[in-house]
Amino acid sequence: MPAERAGYTVTMFLVDISPSMGKVRTVHLPPGLDGEERFANMTSLEWALQYVKMKVQDMIFGGRKTEQCGIITFGSETTNNMINQTNGGYENVYEYVGIGQPNNGTIAKLDALQPSTVSGDPIDALIVGVDTQAEYMTKKKTWTRKIVLVTDGESPIEMENWESVIKKMNALDISFTIVGVDFDDLQYPYEEPGKSVIKRTNEEFYHGIVSSLKNGTVGTCAYALQEITCPDVKVSKSALMGTVLRVGDIDGHPDEAIEIAVKTTKCTTIARPKSWKKFAPRIKSSKMEVDGEEEKTEFAQLRMRTEYYVDDEDIKMEDNEEDLLNNSTMDNDQKTKSEHLEKVEKEELIRGFKYGTTYVPCPDGQFPKLPTRKGIEICGFFPTKNYRRDYAMGEISYVWADTNSPQQQAALSSIVQAMYQKEVVAIARRVTKDGMDPKMGVLVPVTLDKVDCLLWTQVPFADDVRKYSFASLERLVSKKGERLTTHPYLPTKQQQNAMDIYVDAMDLMTAGDQDEEGIPQPWFDIRQSYNPAFHRVKQALFHCAVVSDLKRQPLPPPHPELLKYFNTPPTVIAQAKNALEKCQDVFKVREVPKKVSAKVRRNDHAHAEEEDDGQLLLLDRKQSPGKPQPTQDKGKTKATESDGSATEEEEEEEEQDYGDKKDVLLDEEPTVRGQRMAPLPTPARSASPQSRRIREQNMDVDDEANVGQIDPGRIPGRIIGTTDPLKDFRKNLEQGDIVTKAVEDMGFVISDIVMRPFSWRRNSELMECLREMRNVALKEDEIETWNAFMKEFKTKCLNKPGNPDFWKEVEKAGRGLTLISKQEADRYGGLSIISEREARDFLAKH
Amino acid sequence: MPPYDDWNKIDEEEDEELQDASFFEGKRDVVLFCIDCSESMHTMREDPENESAQTCHLFTALQAAVQIQKKKIVVGPNDSVGILLFNTARKGNSRSSGGSELKQNVLLYQPISQMNASKVHDLIQLLQAAKEDPCELSKTFPPIKDRRMPIGDVFTSCNWVFRDGAPKTATKRVFLITDEQDPHSGIPGARYQQLLTSSRTTLVDLVEAGVTVEPFFISTEDKPFDINKFYSSVLMPTNVTEEEDIEANPHVLPEAISISRIEDLLSQMRIHEIPKRALFSVPFQLGEGFTIGIKGYGLVTEQKKGSYLYFVDLGDRLVPAINKTVYVDEDTEAEVEKSQLAFGPCTGPGEEAEEEEGSGVATRVVNEGSRPFYTAEEVKSFRTLGLKPGIKLLGFKDRTELQFEDNVKHSLFIYPDEFSYSGSKRTFAALLKSMVKKNKMGLVLAVTRSNSIPTFCALLPQEEKIEEGGYEPAGFHLIPLPFADDIRAAPIEEAYRASDKLTTAARAWIDKLTVKTGTYPPDSYPNPALAFHNDQLQANAFREEYDPDSFEDVTLPKYDMIHKRAGTLVQDWKAALEDEPTINVVAASGVKRKADVGVDEAEIRSKHEVGTLAKLKNDQLKAFLKSKSQPVSGNKAELVQRVSDWLDKH
Repeated sequence: MPAERAGYTVTMFLVDISPSMGKVRTVHLPPGLDGEERFANMTSLEWALQYVKMKVQDMIFGGRKTEQCGIITFGSETTNNMINQTNGGYENVYEYVGIGQPNNGTIAKLDALQPSTVSGDPIDALIVGVDTQAEYMTKKKTWTRKIVLVTDGESPIEMENWESVIKKMNALDISFTIVGVDFDDLQYPYEEPGKSVIKRTNEEFYHGIVSSLKNGTVGTCAYALQEITCPDVKVSKSALMGTVLRVGDIDGHPDEAIEIAVKTTKCTTIARPKSWKKFAPRIKSSKMEVDGEEEKTEFAQLRMRTEYYVDDEDIKMEDNEEDLLNNSTMDNDQKTKSEHLEKVEKEELIRGFKYGTTYVPCPDGQFPKLPTRKGIEICGFFPTKNYRRDYAMGEISYVWADTNSPQQQAALSSIVQAMYQKEVVAIARRVTKDGMDPKMGVLVPVTLDKVDCLLWTQVPFADDVRKYSFASLERLVSKKGERLTTHPYLPTKQQQNAMDIYVDAMDLMTAGDQDEEGIPQPWFDIRQSYNPAFHRVKQALFHCAVVSDLKRQPLPPPHPELLKYFNTPPTVIAQAKNALEKCQDVFKVREVPKKVSAKVRRNDHAHAEEEDDGQLLLLDRKQSPGKPQPTQDKGKTKATESDGSATEEEEEEEEQDYGDKKDVLLDEEPTVRGQRMAPLPTPARSASPQSRRIREQNMDVDDEANVGQIDPGRIPGRIIGTTDPLKDFRKNLEQGDIVTKAVEDMGFVISDIVMRPFSWRRNSELMECLREMRNVALKEDEIETWNAFMKEFKTKCLNKPGNPDFWKEVEKAGRGLTLISKQEADRYGGLSIISEREARDFLAKH
Repeated sequence: MPPYDDWNKIDEEEDEELQDASFFEGKRDVVLFCIDCSESMHTMREDPENESAQTCHLFTALQAAVQIQKKKIVVGPNDSVGILLFNTARKGNSRSSGGSELKQNVLLYQPISQMNASKVHDLIQLLQAAKEDPCELSKTFPPIKDRRMPIGDVFTSCNWVFRDGAPKTATKRVFLITDEQDPHSGIPGARYQQLLTSSRTTLVDLVEAGVTVEPFFISTEDKPFDINKFYSSVLMPTNVTEEEDIEANPHVLPEAISISRIEDLLSQMRIHEIPKRALFSVPFQLGEGFTIGIKGYGLVTEQKKGSYLYFVDLGDRLVPAINKTVYVDEDTEAEVEKSQLAFGPCTGPGEEAEEEEGSGVATRVVNEGSRPFYTAEEVKSFRTLGLKPGIKLLGFKDRTELQFEDNVKHSLFIYPDEFSYSGSKRTFAALLKSMVKKNKMGLVLAVTRSNSIPTFCALLPQEEKIEEGGYEPAGFHLIPLPFADDIRAAPIEEAYRASDKLTTAARAWIDKLTVKTGTYPPDSYPNPALAFHNDQLQANAFREEYDPDSFEDVTLPKYDMIHKRAGTLVQDWKAALEDEPTINVVAASGVKRKADVGVDEAEIRSKHEVGTLAKLKNDQLKAFLKSKSQPVSGNKAELVQRVSDWLDKH
């Protein structure tokens, strides 16, 4: 079936606003920030209108003038429709929004709909809908007609002469969709408990109508609402663009040159997420307030405006060559400059280019363009196997022979087939329009079922290729000019084997679904890989267009279809488990603790504290024995010493030395790993994967802090800040003399953070803080401080405003976080007045 | 090229595509040419390009410097360049330039500064003079006799020059050009050792100041160059931008040392012309708990024309205008701060009529305290789906699974980063080897920046290749795959297929037109539109007249060669095409060709020649135009005009 022509559709929405639609229902919302279940109360009408609003928003989103809709309500207290006006009857049917291209006003009107006090007949509405649509479309014969009926099926239906309606709808080729509130749907599955007799009859009636229509569906509203967020790809054909394929010089040698009329169409083209419009709340003016109504906030859409300024220092300044040349003073100037700006109108400006520090005016914004002629010119052919896939620079186009000329088709077909047989591709130069800049590309022959064509993609010009040099991964040469065969940069045989096995284990060629013949297919199909950003943004746009308060109705999670390729299939993960463990074991990859980035330092954002951290980390690394990177350390000493005494002999020794260390490394027990990876001054910290993750998270926090303003979040008098308490804590302990203060402040900061909103984001970090704090308290004889803190902390968490959820976490941690008992304290030579039982019960009992 | 304004209008969160280019513009590049001026550099020798003329290494080096300057001036107008000569007897009047006193025998010919037309022009004129009078260079820059200055002093001078002239944040590089393999030969042991040491320490100073040295050693038959004589013990691997990398691996020979024949100097410099900068540096997760560090580079990125700027004419000179972008509520004329922005959907057309009091601004009224729009943070999370930058391996597939048409944008290149995860290099190397061996490609999910869309990419292994005239580094090509949403259906399902006879005839001339290199050589295709633009820009800057006819577009097909090799075969093919039984075939569109619309080009051409085109029917004119892919709109007069225009041109 050829793709549907986009647009050219009129959709009538028939909305039931009978009193039964005012029934209040409880609707599931996406889980809240803490994963708790949430609900909202709304009327059936509000709920069902979401479907209509989504559909209308889809049209607004598409922005096509040829995609129009109209809205008719039934069960309304007033009557206003074209049949009633001419013939009477058809009461309580109201043409609420006339047919046209919808906009935000349409959505606003839908929002204003309220359940009425009278009931209306859906068949009346349907007849009005069909007629109104037909009247509007007398001159739009080729357009598609759609009608959507939204109802709860609780109102009585006049079931006479519906056959004639069906006949008319089939004659007009109308596609008819019934969205039923709480209709039974065995497939979804849903079955309404305690359904009324009238509704049951009506549902049967609707199913009857739909089955006698050429194009009709009936579905339950919940399913419709779910499916409307499912990513769908609108199959659209791209327009055929005429151009000419040339071989040889048409003007100089017309007899020996070839010119074929061809059409190009797009094969791939990037679909970008829709853009967001920007809004801001308006400052309230007094006239906005209306008596008796709720206070309103008005959001206004903003326009972007570019303003131009000239520095009036520039105007005064004499042409001072030396100043211009001196770059270092330029930077300072820039800072003072912003104070002397004078606005200029855009009309007064001249366009121009920079040529070094020379300015070249160019009023047109561009120089005369290279004269070019539209068409695709073949420059030569080369073997397909020599085509470098990484040279493809852009979207792909099809090149077809002219659709109306069999002769041109024969011509192109012969070239495509010859290229295909010879296994060559063509180098071609393409100009899309007379005078446009040419592009180089390759043409690849494609033979489809019944047609031959070429595919085009752009390849780089000389200017587009960057020839950076990279150190060889395999050929390492020593300073003496000898090639090295063993080096930490080179994989060993054992490592290579482990990787080979892992690559095999992670194979996806048979990890997908089975085809009709039961043969497993490769996992991941481009045709089903939806652009997650595109559809998520679309979903978010739609959602906020139809919902007036995101706090009350937050955005549901992304449709699972969007994320289906985000993770390796579990079967493959399971099958690669051993291979992965082996790889982790033999390659011993370690994250290198981050230093203060050079960039930050250069930008003069350096803070003394950061410098300290950098030092600290360096020290740590030196202390840790058998660190997997001895070469780096040596590099450093070498670079800084450079006393020239290092002779070649010594260098060789160093290398020997290295070899030994490496062996030590390989023999090491895996348990040592965690410690080495995150060296800590405090002893006996568990090196569980959990803690590693936490550390990584902390690092992320560090990073953000480095980039933005660095505020450790310490309040005066405290030595632990809220930004990264664990880091502060450890640093202070290392200095050693203020343990009491550190433990006390840690407690203060933890309860401070826990009482803040959104603290759940930092739960794992806080738990780690607690563990560390307890550990230190136990060993450094701060047991009293810990026990006092925990008692107070418990009260705080469980009272209002507290954080009972966090306390649950603490409870889960169990013994490791409870009060420190006498017995436990004894072991470390400390004192405690808490009994073992008291400690055990502390967490369990509220 | 969109005008500068439009460029700017693109929202930050949506300019992913542009980042590639603008990323580089943010950082300035400073290059100091440091050219040996000793006697051997001055020695006249045959010019390989012009048999009757003579040239010297110094001349070639300066010429290369001019070329680089000319290129840089258009590609990176904010970059700075300087030229320092050493081993010359000429004294610089350094005091007047306000900088530090330099060492003896060093001449700062051009201090480091942003380039301008007149500076480049001066150098060109000097070279012109040197061409006419071979003694010009040795007169201008006389070499010191019978000795060489300590290399340490050269490095120290470079350091001072950078200190005086280069902005702090720039990437700073010295292009060291010399033909002397052992500058301190003949000096007795202890003194030699001392010179060697001082060379090292001064170089370390230079490196610590953030400067890297990229050597270009000239090797000729008469005067071969062996780096092990002196330089290998002095130079460190410095062609890397990150400071830490300098400490990389002292055992290993610096990779960047380029030994080149003087003829290759320019092309060698081209490679180093743009400093190597990573586009991103992210973790690459090979499996749960198995992560290495990688950096990404753009090895094929479209080089665009510079965009124009707006200037204010102050009468005597131009001053660039500073632009600011603000968000305005057009009704109240109130500027809104960026932090205040809320994000929502577009509002559809035709709002005005229904809005009260005819305000042109779309508004939305909600209950007090309600939040109808998203915050910037939320909007970002919709794009990224909450993923952090990184590349995640999903698995492996056969290399053949990657089709030609699975492409939407240029590829990226990734290379291990030992400094974010130690052990990255060996892991990366092993993975590369495995994949090459098994002919596999990787399938990954990539988020390269904090604001980019999660994208599925194919990971193609690239083995290191060192061949005559070509070098390919080892690494992975990261090829972004299209999403389902990016794919367009083929609109044509059926068309006439050529007979075997015609295909064979086509094969004949295709055989003759196969290129010698056997592949697509990007180097042979410089972007003509870009060159044409830059030539005009340069001419304008030098206030010269530009003659467009002087421009040669080398990307045009080599017509002479085509006709010489395949001319007659094409004629044969055309004859075979005439014989194809296509006339009675129903056109693919399903519409039978109408008999009276049959367009015979010869007939129309003859009508055109006698001026009776107007006798043809509109349908016939249209059919003809359509067959030539010309527009078919307009009345008869216009159609006739268009047909005759076309016939005149062809």
